[in-house]
Amino acid sequence: MVSVINTVDTSHEDMIHDAQMDYYGTRLATCSSDRTVKIFDVRNGGQILVADLRGHEGPVWQVAWAHPMFGNILASCSYDRKVIIWKEDNGSWDKMYEYTGHESSVNSVCWGPYEFGLILACGSSDGAISLLTFTGDQQWDVKKISNAHTIGCNAVSWAPAVVPGSLIDQPSGQKPNYVKRFVSGGCDNLVKLWKEEDGQWKEDQKLEAHSDWVRDVGWAPSIGLPTSTIASCSQDGRVFIWTCDDPAGNTWTPELLHKFNDVVWHVSWSITGNILAVSGGDNKVTLWKESMDGRWACISDVSKGQGAVSTITDTQQTEQ
Amino acid sequence: MRLKEIQRTAHQAWSPAGHHPIHLALGTSAQQLDASFNTTAALEIFEVDFSDPSLEMQLKGSLPTTNRLHSIVWVNFGMGADGTGGRLVGGSENGTLTVYNPEVIMSARADADAVVGQSDKHTGPIRALDFNPFQSNLLASGANDSEIYIWDLNNFSSPMTPGAKTQPAEDISVVSWNRQVQHILASASPSGKAVVWDLRKNEPIIKISDHSNRMHCSGMLWHPEVATQLVLASEDDRLPVIQMWDLRFATSPLKVLENHTRGILSISWSQADPELLLSSAKDNRILCWNPNTAEVIYELPTANQWCFDVQWCPRNPALLSAASFDGRITVYSVMGGSLKAQQQSTADKISSSFDTMDPFGTGQVLPPLQVPQSTLQDTIVPPLKKPPKWVRRPVGASFAFGGKLITFENPKQAPVQSPQPVPRQVFMSQVTTETEFLQRSRELQAALQSGSFNNYCQAKIQNAKSDAEQDIWKFLLVNFEDEARIKFLRLLGFSKDDLDKKVAHNGHGVDLPRESYLACNHSLCPSFEDTDGLISQALLVGNFEGAVDLCLNDGRYAEAILLSISGGEELLKKTQQKYLSKQKNSISMLISSVVTQNWRDIVQSCELDNWKEALAALLTYAHPEEFARLCDTLGGRLEHEKTEKRCLQACLCYICSGNIEKLVECWASQRESSTPLGLEDLVEKVMMLRKSIERLRNSEVAVQSPILAEKLTCYAGILAAEGSLGTAMTYLPENTDQVRSTFCNPTTKPPKRIGLLHLDCNKYSGSNKQLYAPCPSPGFLPHQPFHQPQPMLIGGPSAFSPPGPPMSAANLSGPPLQPSSSTPGGMPPMPSPGVPPTSFMPTTSIPSGPMPPSSQPGAPVPMYPGGLHSQGPAPPMASGPYVPMGSGYPQGGPGAPAVKPFPAPAVAPPPTGKWSLCIQKVPDNYTPPAPITAPVMGFPVEAPQPHDHAQVPPGAPQEPSVQVGINAHNKCKRLVFVFFPLVSPQLLQQLPAERVEQKEIPAEHMVLKSTFDSLVQRCQLAARDPQTKRKLDDAAKRLGFLYDKLREQSLSHNILNGLHEISRCVASQNYQRGLEVHTQVVSSSNFSEISAFMPILKVVMTIANKLGV
Repeated sequence: MVSVINTVDTSHEDMIHDAQMDYYGTRLATCSSDRTVKIFDVRNGGQILVADLRGHEGPVWQVAWAHPMFGNILASCSYDRKVIIWKEDNGSWDKMYEYTGHESSVNSVCWGPYEFGLILACGSSDGAISLLTFTGDQQWDVKKISNAHTIGCNAVSWAPAVVPGSLIDQPSGQKPNYVKRFVSGGCDNLVKLWKEEDGQWKEDQKLEAHSDWVRDVGWAPSIGLPTSTIASCSQDGRVFIWTCDDPAGNTWTPELLHKFNDVVWHVSWSITGNILAVSGGDNKVTLWKESMDGRWACISDVSKGQGAVSTITDTQQTEQ
Repeated sequence: MRLKEIQRTAHQAWSPAGHHPIHLALGTSAQQLDASFNTTAALEIFEVDFSDPSLEMQLKGSLPTTNRLHSIVWVNFGMGADGTGGRLVGGSENGTLTVYNPEVIMSARADADAVVGQSDKHTGPIRALDFNPFQSNLLASGANDSEIYIWDLNNFSSPMTPGAKTQPAEDISVVSWNRQVQHILASASPSGKAVVWDLRKNEPIIKISDHSNRMHCSGMLWHPEVATQLVLASEDDRLPVIQMWDLRFATSPLKVLENHTRGILSISWSQADPELLLSSAKDNRILCWNPNTAEVIYELPTANQWCFDVQWCPRNPALLSAASFDGRITVYSVMGGSLKAQQQSTADKISSSFDTMDPFGTGQVLPPLQVPQSTLQDTIVPPLKKPPKWVRRPVGASFAFGGKLITFENPKQAPVQSPQPVPRQVFMSQVTTETEFLQRSRELQAALQSGSFNNYCQAKIQNAKSDAEQDIWKFLLVNFEDEARIKFLRLLGFSKDDLDKKVAHNGHGVDLPRESYLACNHSLCPSFEDTDGLISQALLVGNFEGAVDLCLNDGRYAEAILLSISGGEELLKKTQQKYLSKQKNSISMLISSVVTQNWRDIVQSCELDNWKEALAALLTYAHPEEFARLCDTLGGRLEHEKTEKRCLQACLCYICSGNIEKLVECWASQRESSTPLGLEDLVEKVMMLRKSIERLRNSEVAVQSPILAEKLTCYAGILAAEGSLGTAMTYLPENTDQVRSTFCNPTTKPPKRIGLLHLDCNKYSGSNKQLYAPCPSPGFLPHQPFHQPQPMLIGGPSAFSPPGPPMSAANLSGPPLQPSSSTPGGMPPMPSPGVPPTSFMPTTSIPSGPMPPSSQPGAPVPMYPGGLHSQGPAPPMASGPYVPMGSGYPQGGPGAPAVKPFPAPAVAPPPTGKWSLCIQKVPDNYTPPAPITAPVMGFPVEAPQPHDHAQVPPGAPQEPSVQVGINAHNKCKRLVFVFFPLVSPQLLQQLPAERVEQKEIPAEHMVLKSTFDSLVQRCQLAARDPQTKRKLDDAAKRLGFLYDKLREQSLSHNILNGLHEISRCVASQNYQRGLEVHTQVVSSSNFSEISAFMPILKVVMTIANKLGV
């Protein structure tokens, strides 16, 4: 079942582009074409406007909460080419940092796993991806991957801080040697994987399957298995699930989840990584789950936050 | 910003929106000659590949054409499902309309003709071409002399006309199909007149004309979304405007877009965003308009050249191409960006091209190209001022912690001027996918909270899907019932009642050892014939050796053994050896095991097919201390077979032994436990088994098992993911306390959500230290098996003074007891190191030392049905041998005659070494079980030596006060006993009632108990050699039978008098006299009345005499 437990009336004056809950599920951040970012306290089914953040001069595309160990920090990106990092201090939200290094719309922001500290990846229509690392003392170190995606990067998503394949054999007590990795999708129809080597970001993989803009990418949270999973969705209506069992991370296999009739805007993994929410044109939100035999099936059509959930059956799978 | 560029003077056509990859077709333009003054013509197709960051486009195919083109379109018609193909249609300067197959051009196949259709219907240059957006086979063309034809690509030879030619005849510069209504076509001519045709009526329906007469129409386009609106562009320098008309008000333009300073050459309306209209003009500018507001929202950075053709890319809405008179086709993006890198590469490209090329044929090498570096530095091209529609994400769904889904959507078509503001809502939803899992989890939780375990198990039995499943639940259920061992036996197919009946009927005829043993008991009645008489007499005078010899000689092994039990260990051992050396039949091994209690052999060597029998034997005979281990061994063997059947049988063994960890491992090895329901199956069983053990021990059970921790964490993770956060918390293993505490204080350390715990679980499973890291939060009790009971050890093996009554209250209301806490303050029973060790010398309340494990061969065969796992309501451990048996003791367990020869011994927890028991707290909903015979005890953790098992002291205090004792009867063993009287108010109220029910030793006979107990204790303190100690330990136990008889007042007057006489002798340490009295009593009494205790009394007095205590 998908049942509405709270309806938040955001009072945004224009289109909402993103809505994200914080780590504990107690606060909701929304952003809109009205150039504002709003934060609501939504505990116990209520909605209290905590902050109305103004600072962007264009539509705000995405918001992202940092891990709470760093405090209450929210990043937002906008068509105005800016990334703003907001921080709550004594109950009031202020700009912590404003990044203006992009030459076009910044379409996506994503915080890295907390193991890496406070690090933010930003993807822009100028084709570049910026990586902002907090170095303390209000200082941010900026690394930029130029021309990561020709004519624009639409989405970035970090890999969980695990070393696939080596998880089980992890020597205990030793700090694992995580490799920073993330995935991006762009207007060149490509999904690209990036990894940091010796402090430099390098293109690790180039995944080709989409025939139009890649609208969103989502690296699934690790569920302790050595497999890495990435979802990508595109203007071409296709959603692909990419998996990699190879410990070196070199062999990625795409599986077509579904071909929708309209653009697919967004993919989001559940915290446990077993359900994928796909949102597309026509305000269509569907939930997908992997069955025991590894096939993906739609388990729910969500409309206005409501929907039934069906169990995966064989008939359903053949229909897919 | 500029993305691709190529040197061509050509008309251009993008591949249709469905076409992938994106191609651009270029047909040599008829209007002007390029720099080479080349008169040849060609149709070329380029691929626009943006994964290649260079400005180049890759030529995919080329076809020489006879005519230069005035117009070209790429039609959907004939396009394959794979997104390739379609038709290219070119209108030439001489009026020829040609249809090409772009696939053939690109594949350059010789066998197929790229030209699939050609017509010379038009009489002049074809300047206007457009295809119908609804029916891709319909194409409109316009030429001079007012010629308009509608072509059907399926039937190319005979075009039709939209109606009669307009008069006066003039050139048709543009034709355009309506984007909403498929039978509406518009045409326009340079004079500025536009005609709208209705193809159903075959006539013009409206004519639009600007009365200024200065419109020189170079372009006309229908609104992408509003059916009645169109724009007209004027090429006239005097009126360089775009007019927006609405057919409903066709008298004057709706809007006039004014910004260009010279005539407009070309316009293109974005199909992806109607608010983007491109125009190129003779003022060298390319502008992007919002036609609704008539404002310029973007100006492309272009070369200083006229662009005669601009076109949006149908597939990639951010792209447009522009063809300029200086011979370039350029692809731009309106999203901005930096030109730096690309320009540099362009410059290199150009100079390198010119180095090798001599365009003018002069034979001279061109001078190096001077590229001003400064202009390359900061060429940042901003994006459109207005964010285009295609980047505005209208919908989203994101998961959040706890299975929540955050969704928002936006109205598809924002109402233009709606008085009602659109509600901008975000929905927060709970996603639950595992309905059955949640339902079952709720049922389990309800059972756990209400304590209605029996009902729960019953329901499970009824609904069990398989026999194996049913068996497991039956076994689990039994754990909650009285006399569990007996019921286990019954479940295994051994019914005591049935056997008893058989015995009654068949006498010795049953081949089970236990039965023959029973039979012997039953047939033991004194008679005075021959051997029988002799034996009886020998017995009555206590001459066991003689009696046994008689029996053995007569072949009456059973009697011999029976008698030798009472005759002391050595005799018994001797007798057994004799017997076993003579017996060589099939069941001798079993009998041997029964007698010598060597159950290890049985479980290690029995046929696995006989696992039921083996388990039954264990249930019947095994000492509680060994029972669990033996069950586990048996289970281990079964499990080792690795078949599903065996593993389920092994599970039953583990249920009997209460080994949760092994149960989990075994189950997980055979059954799928990674799916929610599989996990639920497992957790249900584990929780029930755990509860039954907790109930038995009256304390919470901590299982230090990585695999269980992992399973429970996964379970909690699923619960959390499904939104049942509260329930999830209750299942979280204790090692995740840090997780819980960080819920409260997230900033101190990286918190984890339950949903992410799999990882932690995996991480920690290798390291117990991490797993069981001390938890600073007092609210949570970490189970720390490695912690020593520090406070107790301060006193060493000496003694503790009873902490006193206030303790009981503290236990109830105070913080949970932490016997294993490392902080002395946290340990309520404070040690009293100052108390000398002698302060615990024999007193009446601590009557004797602990009972040793009575598993040596030769000791009487203890039978424990109703032992460890069995005592229903009352924790059986509380019932020491000196406490009258409550109803909890199974009356007449297997082999138990009217006299209870083997009282339920005090039991230690299963010495698996994997258990740690801590008293945590009295559960709020805990209801004291009915027959309370003594304060409830908890088992503290083990002493440092891992082989030391916490044991229960044998004597239960009579009053409900706290007693902490350490008995140092054996220097190498340090047994720590802690009594925690978890006396709840209800329990206190119940106690008096219990006393009434429970018979006390009559006051006049109390002296017997105190005297004999103290005698045994004195002997124990003085005894040095192990054999004597064993005897004394045995004595302490067997004297219980005497006390039982005293309570029951079943002893005859004669015997009682004799006992009192002995007691007086003992008190005066005159043991010789005591022994004489003993002999008198024995010889003058009914054997069955005294056999349980008189021999041991003799043994004790003999020892006391020897030791001189």
